[in-house]
Amino acid sequence: MSKSANKDIMVAISVPPFWHCGRTIRGNSIYTLIALAPAMLAAFAMWGLPAIRVVALSVFTAMACEFLCQKAMGQKPSQHDGTAAVLGVLFAFLLPAAAPWWLVVIGVGCAMCLGRMAFGGYGTNPVSAVLVGWALVFVSFPTYMDATSTILATDLFDPLLRLKQFGAADVAGISCTDLLLGLQLGGLGAVYAGLLFLGGLFIIFRGVIRWEVPLTFLIGVAVTAFCFQMADPARYAGPLFHLLSGSTMLAAFFLATEDSCSPHRRLPMCLYGLTGGALVVIIRIFGMYTDGAPFAVMLINLLAPMFGLVVTRPFGWKKGDK
Amino acid sequence: MKRRFNILSDPRFRLVYGDVRNFREGFKPRKLRLNREQFELLPDIKKKTQVYPGMLLAEHPSLEKGDLHAPVYGVISDINVRSIFIDVLEDSAVDASAFPAVERVELLNSDLRGEDLVLAVKKLGVNTRSLGQRARTLVINGLNPEPGITWAEAMLIGYADEIKAGIELMRRFGRADEIILAVPKGAVVHVDGIRTVEVEPEYPNSISELLIKQITKKENPEGWASVGIHNVWSLGHVALTGLPLMDTVITVSVEDHWANYVVTNGSIVGDLIEYTGEPLKNGDTILRGGPLRGESLDQLDRSITKGTQGFFVVRKGTIPPMEGDSICVNCGACMLVCPTRIDPRMLSRYAEFNKYDMSRKENFHLCVDCGLCSYVCIARRPVLQYIRLAVNKLRQEEAMAKLTPVVPVSKD
Ligand code: SF4
Ligand code: SF4
Repeated sequence: MSKSANKDIMVAISVPPFWHCGRTIRGNSIYTLIALAPAMLAAFAMWGLPAIRVVALSVFTAMACEFLCQKAMGQKPSQHDGTAAVLGVLFAFLLPAAAPWWLVVIGVGCAMCLGRMAFGGYGTNPVSAVLVGWALVFVSFPTYMDATSTILATDLFDPLLRLKQFGAADVAGISCTDLLLGLQLGGLGAVYAGLLFLGGLFIIFRGVIRWEVPLTFLIGVAVTAFCFQMADPARYAGPLFHLLSGSTMLAAFFLATEDSCSPHRRLPMCLYGLTGGALVVIIRIFGMYTDGAPFAVMLINLLAPMFGLVVTRPFGWKKGDK
Repeated sequence: MKRRFNILSDPRFRLVYGDVRNFREGFKPRKLRLNREQFELLPDIKKKTQVYPGMLLAEHPSLEKGDLHAPVYGVISDINVRSIFIDVLEDSAVDASAFPAVERVELLNSDLRGEDLVLAVKKLGVNTRSLGQRARTLVINGLNPEPGITWAEAMLIGYADEIKAGIELMRRFGRADEIILAVPKGAVVHVDGIRTVEVEPEYPNSISELLIKQITKKENPEGWASVGIHNVWSLGHVALTGLPLMDTVITVSVEDHWANYVVTNGSIVGDLIEYTGEPLKNGDTILRGGPLRGESLDQLDRSITKGTQGFFVVRKGTIPPMEGDSICVNCGACMLVCPTRIDPRMLSRYAEFNKYDMSRKENFHLCVDCGLCSYVCIARRPVLQYIRLAVNKLRQEEAMAKLTPVVPVSKD
């Protein structure tokens, strides 16, 4: 050993690299929660205690389920990384504020256990776990998932339901500002289109999600809606309406961008987003459900491996190489 | 785009630092540890042998690797399979006349050319592998090789004589048709008689393959190769002093203070830290090389050897710690950032689970060793190191496959 004053120092052997971008799973979760916070607070202000109850229960159940699954599977508990909390909040955002407790527990339990842990944990699920849980309760308990039928004491209405039942002329009068501010019925957090948009921008600039997916997703929605509207303005609502109603914004920024369920290279990401956006409008128009966004995201999640097949030429590729 | 959206918005990735001061000399090691792996020791080099600066200790069998010389007056205290240890003698305790004088080799004034010159340079302790590459165009890479390493600008500006001498010798090697110098964009660098090209000084442009891409706008064009300015400086230094190569230039960086030093070959890192006056604390990580591609050292008695480019102390808590086995969470950041467009995500998993042969399908050999994949990994996986593991494994396998099986001779 060198004879030096440093003799007794223990140096830490650490794994490279020794500089790091600083982004971590936990950090990303925290940023996502911050991005969701404005919409969450708005929902609390609007619906009060019931909304707080739904969100809290959802987050708690998500973490508890994750913990139990991890124990059962012999994994290290990882509630501190915040991914379960994000899942819980996102799931709650899709529920009506008046959702009964058992609906929350069943839904988020399925999301966590079947949607995520069954595949091995965070980052392994091929389809957004939130949406797996959502689809399950949505299909099983449609009336409880419908804000219009569960929340009676309100003047607000579900614009997508109006569109479905009364046609484009009926929704033409709805002010976009109202939609933007979230004055509509729907998922308790999903309706705050403006706030979610700002939150989405925030996580884009924090590098948590990649801009390609939300941008192309929104473009997909707008272009498809525009085409339909051109074809028959009396039957089909315009792009702005589709962008701001229902859970389009939540889907574009927070659901479709889940890393493990989306492609990772630029062109595939753009195709993925465009397809998703187009599907939102198509499902809304031709499907039997009012809001197409969650289903559209599930569909593109399933298609993601296919988009991933778009060939990327490796460095130095020359004609004739394989 | 990568910068704007925070995937790579690290200002440290800008490879210019504006430091053109001369390198700090004056660090006197008390002990040395010279690497002798694969070298053949001279017969009279034993424990207790007295050594003097420039004394040949060991030769390397390869023509591409420089021989090993003692850099100081001292006594060999120990020799093992990997290292030669030398206790350095105080200047006052040395009677220089008792040692034979080292002959200066004036390479620039000699008429050595081609392979003879390469041999002479090797005998002076300089590695000639990258200096003497055969290529149509050989680019001297005047960028700092890695973020945090800061000596390149000083070499280009303050040490232009060394660089010029180095280039002259490289021309006399006669192995490259043309030699050009790549300098950071905006730097006012002019070295007589050599064409300079400007490159954006942004990591990873300093990596050979990517530097050439910047210059030619082609990926892996034929006939191009590059050599680091560190090597050219060493060659020029030897040419100007006429003495064997006995020291190296490194950036020493503790936290965010840094400076460039000329350090004796074999200096112990513990002594060096002490010399810089920055106390080491428990839990700090010390590393040799650079922050993205270097290796962490386990002990303070490791040494700085000729090719070393930097030495860093990273304080505890500066980077997110690695937790558990850090399973890949499929975030895809590494794929987006990889300049060679391969899939570090799958490659690192193949290596993790011993499926090395799968790596071939994923073009593992294209990896240029930039370390960005590890830098961006949100799960803190040592992605590059996994890939290096695969590269080594497969290289060994290929080498084994080439050996002809030995047929046992029957005894009769
Ligand atoms: S070190 Fe990583 S990012 Fe760099 S070329 Fe290799 S795989 Fe790609
Ligand atoms: S950056 Fe890390 S966690 Fe993300 S895909 Fe690559 S190896 Fe996996």
